[in-house]
Amino acid sequence: MRKTCSFDNVLKVLVLVALPVVFFLGTICIGRYPVSLGEVLGCFKAFFTCDMGAVSQQTYAVVMSIRAQRALQGLLVGASLAASGACFQSLFRNPLVSSGMLGVSAGSGFGAALSIIIFGTTVFTPGFSFGFGVLAVVLAYLVGKIAGGSPTVTLILGGTIIQSIFSALLSLLKYLADTETQLPAITFWLMGSLASTKTSDIWFAGIPMVLGMLGMILFRYRLNVLSMGDREAKTLGLNVGANKIAVISCATLATAGAVCVSGVIGWIGLIIPHICRMIFGNDNKWLVPASISIGACFMVLVDTICRTLTAGEIPLGIVTAIVGGPFFIYLLKKTKGGGW
Amino acid sequence: MALLTVKDAAFSYRSKKGVEKHVFDGIDFSVERGEIFCIVGPNGCGKSTLIDCLLGLNKLEAGDILIADKSISEFKARELASHIAYVPQNHKITFGYTVLDIVTMGRTYEQRVFEPPTEEERDYARKCLSLVGLSGFETRDYSKLSGGELQLVLIARALCQKADVLIMDEPTAHLDFRHELNVMEIIAKLVKEQQISIIMATHFLNQAYYLENAGVNTRVALMSDCHFGMIGTPSEVLSEENLLKVFNIVTEVASTKDGERKYIIPLYNEK
Repeated sequence: MRKTCSFDNVLKVLVLVALPVVFFLGTICIGRYPVSLGEVLGCFKAFFTCDMGAVSQQTYAVVMSIRAQRALQGLLVGASLAASGACFQSLFRNPLVSSGMLGVSAGSGFGAALSIIIFGTTVFTPGFSFGFGVLAVVLAYLVGKIAGGSPTVTLILGGTIIQSIFSALLSLLKYLADTETQLPAITFWLMGSLASTKTSDIWFAGIPMVLGMLGMILFRYRLNVLSMGDREAKTLGLNVGANKIAVISCATLATAGAVCVSGVIGWIGLIIPHICRMIFGNDNKWLVPASISIGACFMVLVDTICRTLTAGEIPLGIVTAIVGGPFFIYLLKKTKGGGW
Repeated sequence: MALLTVKDAAFSYRSKKGVEKHVFDGIDFSVERGEIFCIVGPNGCGKSTLIDCLLGLNKLEAGDILIADKSISEFKARELASHIAYVPQNHKITFGYTVLDIVTMGRTYEQRVFEPPTEEERDYARKCLSLVGLSGFETRDYSKLSGGELQLVLIARALCQKADVLIMDEPTAHLDFRHELNVMEIIAKLVKEQQISIIMATHFLNQAYYLENAGVNTRVALMSDCHFGMIGTPSEVLSEENLLKVFNIVTEVASTKDGERKYIIPLYNEK
């Protein structure tokens, strides 16, 4: 019996690793300038060996400097949002919580809008957005602390308060913004897009996203114990405060990194963890890695739809909800919510 | 030597203005290996607060709680978990983990930060499950268990901590007649066979009699007016006079027809 179990596990790992690779290569092939899989692989070979071989200059440019970057960013963003959502659900013992719980998204949105109003759309936007995203979580944590310790309820309350304050400030900025240039820029930024992915963004946002996800993967066993609640986690021998801060920090790094380059993309941090719960169960040992893998695939899929469905770009946030909602209902019907 | 000693313990809830609510003081007792120590008393007498102090969740205002001559205030969470395990009264289920995952969490304090549970730890968890009579439940979803089974899983998780003292807060609250008996049988068996010690807060006075009848070393502390009024065997403490004093009710202590088992029934409120 134990043998078949481990075979199952190997299969699961293989699927979780292979799926994002398939989606990554797949999305590079798709677009108005069609590229075959062979050409894509040729480009990667050329990239690593500096030998162009049979690949044309134009194909190489499309694949490497446009689509591959965007696809990579998509993988990272989706994975980060989904993993943070999964972690927050366990940490706050609440299946309705998502990655924006502690105000990261609201703070990031405000930061981005502020930078658009001060500097116009520039390289400063991701930095501002990231900074304010992290600031919002720190504030939420401090507000939670006022009530003494860091009990889960006050932390959620703190998050809600900070979230609404930043939303209000964002509305104020929108109200003050120039309606010809700034307001549309803010609005489109908030709807989410990967269209403007630059190499510098991948480095700037990629590092916190990767670090955050790494941390979440490492902390996943602790996360199971934390989800028993503060009292029980403490009597089981866990330093609850320190572990909580560590998990929140990792999730915040990853989410702020994702939001600062892609804008506010709802849904992924809520539904991907649930989809993974239905398929892989609630043990964070599997849930966190599965959320990373499935979140990455889902984001790439949605982004591919966004850039190919019409001549223009459809904002990501719209498509995540339209694609995600029905898929979620389908899964709910199929598993009867058996995952939780 | 006593496993756990409580010396002259006192606690009050405080705010900046001063003492908000005095809960207890002068609490003195010790627990020996292989013994069940029941704390009984009216609602709001401070049982749960005392239990939180024993678990290190509340800090005593005065006095001390000693394990092996060392104050538990000097213990880190992981060290305390190796001595004291907790079976909670209200466990809120959020996500459906497997029963084995839950029980294995008892070994958390021995794992380093990023370490997964080992196969040996899982095997030990399986052993604990069999001790509470739940072999075969390993892969079941714990959110779909009955209340009685859930309670046994939580007891197994506490056993898995290999702690000397198990602390139970109302272990049979919300359980039906049969499951209550089932839990009590398991508790009696564990104390007799595994020589663990249990500190238990309970409202069901007959549980103390049940344990005494079953031949387990049982002592009862009757808590009222911020103090332990009396400590002794169930027969000594849970007498008709004492219950009239503390609960203000008239009761009758009786025996089963074969004369081997004692029990107590409440008759009416003293007007």
